[in-house]
Amino acid sequence: MNSTDSTQVAKLQGLKEKTSRSLQAFPAKVFHWVNIISLMVMLMSGLQIYNANPVFGGREGWHIPQFFLLGGWLAGGRHWHFAAMWVFSLNLLWYGVYVLVTQRWQHRFVGGNDVKALQVGKNPKRKIYAWHRIVYTSIIPILLLALFTGVGMYKPAQFPWIVECFGDWFALRVVHFATVPLVIGFAIAHSLLSLKAGGERLVNSMLWDEML
Amino acid sequence: MTELNLHPINRRNLLRLSGYSLGGVLVGGSVLTLAESLVGRATEPLNQKVEELLLKPQTPVPEFPVSAIEPNALIINTYDFTPNINLNDFRLVVDGEVNNPLSLDLAAIQKMSKKSMVIRHVCVEGWAAIVQWGGVPLRELIQLAQPKPGVKYAYFISADRYYESWDLASCLHPQTVLAYEKNGAPLPIDHGAPLRLASPIKLGYKLSKWVVQVTLVSKLLPRRGFWEDQSYEWFAGL
Repeated sequence: MNSTDSTQVAKLQGLKEKTSRSLQAFPAKVFHWVNIISLMVMLMSGLQIYNANPVFGGREGWHIPQFFLLGGWLAGGRHWHFAAMWVFSLNLLWYGVYVLVTQRWQHRFVGGNDVKALQVGKNPKRKIYAWHRIVYTSIIPILLLALFTGVGMYKPAQFPWIVECFGDWFALRVVHFATVPLVIGFAIAHSLLSLKAGGERLVNSMLWDEML
Repeated sequence: MTELNLHPINRRNLLRLSGYSLGGVLVGGSVLTLAESLVGRATEPLNQKVEELLLKPQTPVPEFPVSAIEPNALIINTYDFTPNINLNDFRLVVDGEVNNPLSLDLAAIQKMSKKSMVIRHVCVEGWAAIVQWGGVPLRELIQLAQPKPGVKYAYFISADRYYESWDLASCLHPQTVLAYEKNGAPLPIDHGAPLRLASPIKLGYKLSKWVVQVTLVSKLLPRRGFWEDQSYEWFAGL
């Protein structure tokens, strides 16, 4: 092996490392995982609380099957809900700071270029990518809405203006509950679109690469 | 092209995931029960601190106009039964660590100053009702009883043996009353007549019905309330 060969090998190895490096920043992956898990806990414990007095129909209303619940009964559901709310909301908070400080918000979320690609673009792959960005950006307002309505229901005497934003208590409950189907719909659309837009490589880059 | 390439789903990860979930289901049952009590115990003190910080002890919560009352929204909840109370014998006892223990009949209570308010009653189950309550502010009774220094909590004993305990700051809140009137009429027996707690700053299970005794203390006992002793939150502030 002469010296030219060894530099060539080194170069190739460097290239290999470069291409196998994850597409995603490490903090983005941490946010993504903590969000998935804490959101699951929020959702399942929230449905447990829901079952104590279903939003639609009250005690005679339709109850969520046991399989989707966490906590066993109302008190257990509330313990999980008001424990996971810290993980969920603080995760959202640090991620928000991170996105602002690193200026990722300028190029990592949906922008005018995506709208343009959908309206006048000719590239079908770019269009799928634009839809993907629209969908994953939408989770941010959905999560903030869940948090906002949740604080309104948790402390209505301290934040009566949150209840007023939605008209009355029932409307507030409906909107808070509506974030459940919104999150589930999001999770399905986001999974399908990420596979379509970036395939296995994109999905792995967010979930597994350099994580396990 | 092989079949594998047609489906971009990563089989390795799919397998890994299903392995995790199978393990999760097996271990889950036992771990969840343990985790649940840990979760509650770990974060409840933090949540209570935040609740105490949020409570503005002397600032009234905005009230509603009479037109906002929802006459049929308040669901009747009891842990067990509706007690029989002889109104002629009825006495409200205020005792514990006080200089001037009280034993008052209804006429004496209704002669004291009356607070009327239209507030939202919020149940732990998630429903709420806008109700008008009229009654004697609890802080007037407490002042009359002259609590000794060091008093921090109040116990409320009901005729049906329901029991509750509150922090003193919430007891002294201007909108915490012992109510004998609901929606402009005498308080119905199912809603706690002759006297029940009403306040916009606590969840419904803190608002004892059929209150017969208020005991002021400096320390909480191991039994803190009927539902609390079954792991409901103790502070339960709104």
